[in-house]
Amino acid sequence: MSDDETRNKDKMTTAQSNNFRPGAMQPNASISRKLREFYDAVQEEGIPDRFLELLERLDEAEKNAKAVKAK
Amino acid sequence: MTTKDEDVDRAFKRDLLASLPNLRAFAVSLTGRHDKADDLVQDTIMKAWANQGSFTAGTNMRAWLFTILRNEFYSQMRKRGREVQDTDGLFSERFSVHPEQYGRLDLQDFRKALDTLPDDQREAIILVGAAGFAYEEAATICGCAVGTIKSRVSRARSRLQEILGVSGESDFGPDPGDAAITSRAFGS
Repeated sequence: MSDDETRNKDKMTTAQSNNFRPGAMQPNASISRKLREFYDAVQEEGIPDRFLELLERLDEAEKNAKAVKAK
Repeated sequence: MTTKDEDVDRAFKRDLLASLPNLRAFAVSLTGRHDKADDLVQDTIMKAWANQGSFTAGTNMRAWLFTILRNEFYSQMRKRGREVQDTDGLFSERFSVHPEQYGRLDLQDFRKALDTLPDDQREAIILVGAAGFAYEEAATICGCAVGTIKSRVSRARSRLQEILGVSGESDFGPDPGDAAITSRAFGS
């Protein structure tokens, strides 16, 4: 269901009856959506440089250790 | 070192990198703060790297990393004891929401609601509802039965629904623009 459809449905519900709580139509869908929005917002920040640098250092350390062992 | 070992190493690093944004989002969900989450991710990378040998190539690296991070998080919590948390400033400070997102997403409210959940329910709903794991994978990560995960997810949903449904009631209503249209449409 698109956001527009959800909004329209809420609007209709509000117009039909004020006792019916808006948003109660698709509670799980709404919670799932918010959950993903929250989570995706962090994911979209990408990978901080400190982790890329850390992996480079680990990689280098491993290569050096192997080079020493090989001698 | 043989070429095959090098390939395995490269694949390990590539898959680790690919999993990082998701792993980091999980860390933020657990700790509630970006700075602590990043420390936790760093510890996880170090552990994962040191234990490369115990990872079976071709199996689910994401689940393996999540398991390490989760274990690390709980063992650090046990060691330190739960620190006194500044519940008000916890997410508002670190979790910035762009103004244009605010009305639509209510992310801060949602984040606060999420934080009121018990740890086991929060991690269950995050793993299944946001991180993209199957119930079975989430059960493996948390070291519990599939049924336990299912019931935690279901309780977490009811709880969030209850909190957001009651405290955020007005947020679900039409925005001022919509209200004007609504009153025009139904006013006469």
